Amino acid sequence: MATAPTTLDSDQARLPEKGVWKLLPTVGMVTGVVFLLVAGFLAQGGPERFFHSYLVSWVFFLSLALGGLFFVLLQHLTRAGWSVVVRRVAEDVAGTLPFLALLFVPLIPGIHSLYHWSHEEAVAEDPLLAHKAPWLDEGRFLAAAVLCLGLWSLLAWWYRRESRRQDESGEIEITERLQRWSALAMIVYGVTQSVAAFDWLMSLDAHWYSTIYGVYFFSGSTVGILALLIGLALILERQGALRGLVTFEHYHDLGKLLFGFVVFWAYIAFSQFMLIWYAAIPEETLWYARRWEQGWRPYSIALAVIHFGIPFFFLLFRDVKRRRATLALSAIWLLVAHYLDVYWLVMPALLESPGFHLQDLLTFVGVGALFVGVLARLLRRHPVVPLGDPRLAESLAFENV
Amino acid sequence: MNETRDTRSSREPEVWGVLAEISSVDALHGTCEGLRDAGYTQFDAHTPYPVHGLERAMGLKRSLVPLAVLILGLGGAAAGMLLQWWVSAEAYPLVISGKPLFSWPAFVPIMFECGVLGGAAGAFFGFLALARLPRHHHPLFESERFERVSDDAFFVSVAAEDPRWDRDETTRLLRDLGAREIEIIEA
Amino acid sequence: MAEAVRDVDPIEHRPELIEGSPSMGEITEAVARPVEWTPPLGWWIVLGISLSMLGVFGVALCWLIWEGVGVWGNNVPVAWGWPIVNFVFWVGIGHAGTLISAVLFLFRQRWRTSINRAAEAMTLFAVACALVFPAIHTGRPWLDYWMFPVPNQMAIWPQFRSPLMWDVFAVNIYGTVSLLFWYLGLLPDLATIRDRATDPLRQKIYGFFALGWRGSHRQWLHYERAYLLLAGLATPLVLSVHSVVSFDFATSQLPGWHTTIFPPYFVAGAIFSGLAMVVTLMVICRVAFKMEHIINVLHFDRMAKLILATGSIVGYAYATEFFVAWYSGNLFELFAFKNRALGPYAWAYWIMVTCNVVVPQIFWFKKARTHMGILFVASIFVNIGMWFERFVIVVTSLHRDFLPSSWDYFSPTLWDFATLIGSFGLFFTLFTLFVRFVPMVAIAEVKGVLPQAHPRHEHPAGAPSVPYEADPQEA
Repeated sequence: MATAPTTLDSDQARLPEKGVWKLLPTVGMVTGVVFLLVAGFLAQGGPERFFHSYLVSWVFFLSLALGGLFFVLLQHLTRAGWSVVVRRVAEDVAGTLPFLALLFVPLIPGIHSLYHWSHEEAVAEDPLLAHKAPWLDEGRFLAAAVLCLGLWSLLAWWYRRESRRQDESGEIEITERLQRWSALAMIVYGVTQSVAAFDWLMSLDAHWYSTIYGVYFFSGSTVGILALLIGLALILERQGALRGLVTFEHYHDLGKLLFGFVVFWAYIAFSQFMLIWYAAIPEETLWYARRWEQGWRPYSIALAVIHFGIPFFFLLFRDVKRRRATLALSAIWLLVAHYLDVYWLVMPALLESPGFHLQDLLTFVGVGALFVGVLARLLRRHPVVPLGDPRLAESLAFENV
Repeated sequence: MNETRDTRSSREPEVWGVLAEISSVDALHGTCEGLRDAGYTQFDAHTPYPVHGLERAMGLKRSLVPLAVLILGLGGAAAGMLLQWWVSAEAYPLVISGKPLFSWPAFVPIMFECGVLGGAAGAFFGFLALARLPRHHHPLFESERFERVSDDAFFVSVAAEDPRWDRDETTRLLRDLGAREIEIIEA
Repeated sequence: MAEAVRDVDPIEHRPELIEGSPSMGEITEAVARPVEWTPPLGWWIVLGISLSMLGVFGVALCWLIWEGVGVWGNNVPVAWGWPIVNFVFWVGIGHAGTLISAVLFLFRQRWRTSINRAAEAMTLFAVACALVFPAIHTGRPWLDYWMFPVPNQMAIWPQFRSPLMWDVFAVNIYGTVSLLFWYLGLLPDLATIRDRATDPLRQKIYGFFALGWRGSHRQWLHYERAYLLLAGLATPLVLSVHSVVSFDFATSQLPGWHTTIFPPYFVAGAIFSGLAMVVTLMVICRVAFKMEHIINVLHFDRMAKLILATGSIVGYAYATEFFVAWYSGNLFELFAFKNRALGPYAWAYWIMVTCNVVVPQIFWFKKARTHMGILFVASIFVNIGMWFERFVIVVTSLHRDFLPSSWDYFSPTLWDFATLIGSFGLFFTLFTLFVRFVPMVAIAEVKGVLPQAHPRHEHPAGAPSVPYEADPQEA
């Protein structure tokens, strides 16, 4: 039994052919390219500002896609049944990774604007940088980026392709294969995402180091993807796809996970902060000195409240996780919080105190529109539910007990 | 009139209610729904393990345990932080390792632990209070059949204090609902 | 179809959690038997050995208190010797119980029901063992009440900025909450033993602790809420406790101790070691008490996977620490790590790496995850490895500090060994008594995961449940 694909109304599993969804891919692409070109040629605030803003926007969307990859791998690793109905959406979010990998290219000319360590003269007069030179080296940096982005793209592509092949065939072997590789894939993911976080974000402050940094980046990106999944499921439901398939039981579970990771993020963030604050070793405190003692202080406090305080007390309640309006609010809120978090990781490297700049908006809309365009294209191309997944029936009937 | 009643109650032992054994967990739902629909409120299902969905069949309200946890949890956390602030900054201010008197980052761990302690106490004692425990003596324990409730038997009990209680009527209703063995429990 | 949705997985066919589809009565019988029978000779032998070890503990503690902490190998620069190693080791062991009970409960891993009771008991006993060490390490244990928030004779209060104070709160609260959680879960089962008892004294004792439980749904309703919430509270608690233990080290400025990844890394390591201890004990218990059908291959397979997963996280942390020691450019940090791997304690470091990172790799193979012999041996290796991890952290960072003239080589004394062995005596004595007097499997919970436990009409055949806004009833 259960090998036969579950019969579902095709409207439930597919996005409408016409309407906004048809236009989105093209509109997204055009908007994205235009905004990015404007941002690039406007050159307002100088190349440094452009590249920092671009890095924030790119890392934000990349972290969502990366979170999607984590979510997909995790479901296979744990043989989860409940999440099957939303897994395709996560697969599609992860499916933007090959495209986001291309968007790394504009950063290459910006390495000198972003990373202090990439200047030979700076390394020559700084013994610490000289010590780190074997790691903080442009060639090594680019090679690691190619490797990380390549592996993620490969994994995301393969997991999505196999799952789509299953839509038609319903082969159980496909799930078995995906599960078998998920453990190894998870290890690859864990290591590469830490390397990436160290390279692209931590090395903005080339002197500073923190062993927990990779975990911090991971916790933020997972909050991001869970918020995005809830948001996307709500949007798709409005459009008719997923309607009647995603129930409040699924939302409730996603909400619980979101709550859990909000707490996890706070735990990791606090651990890092408290340990550095407590030991007060100068070379470590410099990173927080910037964010906690100087111009960024109000921003940091706001981040703690927005990313943890308010959502903690909001998501604590059961009904919040089972109502569309409150779920939508939580999803938007935490996506904003995640953006603020990424901004907070990057921008203090450039600015004494937070200051909004046109470039932030231009690059955000630029990368964002491209991301949305590609995502819409992926979502439209095939059912938004893995129709052939052997555990779909379990997922559809899932109830929280 | 009054006299006759008095003599009767002294002759006949007072009745606590009725205990009915139900053959299966499927039937249990039906019996509870039947009692609920007949307007009974003071009845209970007895099972060896928690049977989900029974609260709906019985028409029970949500448990208030979460409220106790929330209040005591927040209270515990607040108390933990207050204690540390008062001890370190008010009662005997001492500067240690150059840290401020009110070193809040250093106080977060204990605040958190106290919050959890409060919440856990709320859950445990809230449960005891709401479940009316401990209560070591209960008329139901007089029934020998009832000993199997913690093994593999399912029961429904209806208390005589139920406004709809009528010894014969209730017994008949239970029998109609498929109860197997029906036993009158003395108070 | 409804059954299919609930219990049969199309891919792995999710084997039955309990083998041989026993009736509820048979479950009660199987679990209650060890509590009711006259214990076999084997039990007395185990108890005898455990009590002898406990006797060693008593002697070691008496001598320690009489003579002072000088009886141990602790001395400057290694002022934190084995007592702290043992403390962290035992607290770590105490983490798997709550992981299995609370975290797996929240993740709806229903296979946990067969092992959670024993794992929780193990947690309590491990925490009890752990608490002994900081208490005796103070040197003057009769003044331990100074650690509680009361002013001493100079009107000075405890120093709340010290992570050691956080430990006092964290570990004590963890023990208390674990006890409440365990006792709450035990309540229905104590009622089972009470109802089966023929001896009036037994009936009274178990009846007293069962608090008059009647299995009433008005009780179950609050019970389940309370259990869920306790699980929800215990989950962050378990994370926090070993994080706080890690803060003891990480808030310092000592190379090898001060690193930000310590909190999550300690938590993963604790769960790793605790699971290994559960495997060790369960391999023995299931055979000794004839519960092979309740605690079966499936449970070990899953625990082994968790061991592999947490072991990988620990490996990731080792690697990150090493990398950042170099990347930081901090000479002391780099020295500390080189000294670990190549210095006088290199043997301990490589025992740790072998046991914690290399040995668990065997669990990539299903054969190893389901073979009792391999499980038993591998889990013991993990336990050894995790003890050495704490040894490496405590001793290697201290024995060569910033001042080379004070460098030294730490060696334990006979009394260090006696105390460690003695603490195992305490642990095994408590555990042996536990399996004799308390149902070691959660009877009510196991019944709840039997296929016949829930009415068939609960899931209308394969139909998606109706999407509804907030459910009026708690589910």
